[in-house]
Amino acid sequence: MEKVLLISPEKCIGCGSCEMACSIGNEGEFRPAVSRISVHRFEGGQNVPMACLQCEDAACMAACRTGALSRNEQGVVVVDRAKCIGCRMCVMACPFGNISYSRATKSAFKCDQCGGDPECVKWCPTRALEFLPADTVNLQRKRAFSATMAKALEEVKG
Amino acid sequence: MIEITIDGQTVSVEPGTTLLKAARAAGIEIPTLCAHEGLPPEGNCRLCSVEVTERGKTRLAMSCMYPANRDGLVVRTDTDRVRTARRFVLQMLADRNPKAPALRSLCEEYGVTPSAPEGVEPELCIRCGRCVRACETNGTNALSFAGRGWEREVTPPFHEASEDCIGCLSCAEVCPTGRITWEEKGRKRSIWGRAFDMVECERCHDRYATLEQLRFTGTDPETARLCPRCRKTLQQGRIRLGNREL
Repeated sequence: MEKVLLISPEKCIGCGSCEMACSIGNEGEFRPAVSRISVHRFEGGQNVPMACLQCEDAACMAACRTGALSRNEQGVVVVDRAKCIGCRMCVMACPFGNISYSRATKSAFKCDQCGGDPECVKWCPTRALEFLPADTVNLQRKRAFSATMAKALEEVKG
Repeated sequence: MIEITIDGQTVSVEPGTTLLKAARAAGIEIPTLCAHEGLPPEGNCRLCSVEVTERGKTRLAMSCMYPANRDGLVVRTDTDRVRTARRFVLQMLADRNPKAPALRSLCEEYGVTPSAPEGVEPELCIRCGRCVRACETNGTNALSFAGRGWEREVTPPFHEASEDCIGCLSCAEVCPTGRITWEEKGRKRSIWGRAFDMVECERCHDRYATLEQLRFTGTDPETARLCPRCRKTLQQGRIRLGNREL
């Protein structure tokens, strides 16, 4: 069964373990700047982790001209580094800032859920990050999360 | 699927797969300079030559362009003939571009010593055309080859700053030798003789893209007001607001 990465900001304590686990797992170094997940620490102890949402209608994928971005069988949008030509159009297109470009590796990079075993989830001490089967209950939770986001967006606009 | 033989190994591939791809999948390394997986092959650098035996005839072929479409094709990647052909090509490339780092290790491997003929200015462009193909693939078409023979070079049309260039830097990113350079000074990014105004993020003032880049990508103007990093922070702020209500 497909799995979903569920984020519960209310459980996040802002420790940054996910950023460390992600950067060491993917880039071999402890450096939040190259992490595919990042935590924003707001005042009042509110922390929000954010990684790629694997959008159904992904703007990054639509912008890519070389086929470097594609969706795999798990529904995750993945980068083929060898095919990336560094045009950065995916970076321009993503409305959430969840894909970046690395001059060092000459390729775009984003969360690919570590190929089905996300490092961030393994190291999150409070289970603010969970990787669960995409069953009815979990999909419901994900939808509820999106709905609150949409509502907040409406308020910001209004 | 069809079966071909590469250096004695039997490899089964989809018909139409290039010999280069088939060899690499089998763990056989073939040197290349102009091949890029994201771009259509063009056989410009002539370095990936291999010996192909088909219907009793053996000849040299460019592995990046040669589709395997017949059962029983026999490919050899490391014969004397192949090495001689590669050495010849490398000698010519290295003579004209003695300082290109991409050529150095290949020259060592093939025992080639660059010796520029008198009066030849050292260059960095090996005419591999990766930049031209990258620009074509992007759909911007601001670069092409001009001239013939020794005079052949990569340039925007008529050596003028191109209106089609969006300053995305793809050409420089795919260049194997570092020939293509650009500059970013203050609010301007310059490449191929054209200066672009950079768009500034409204929040952090990072100059993150050219206006032409954002227009070409079709980024929603509302989204384009912020740099990718600040877009993320904004999104996180919205999630936080959402949570407060829960």
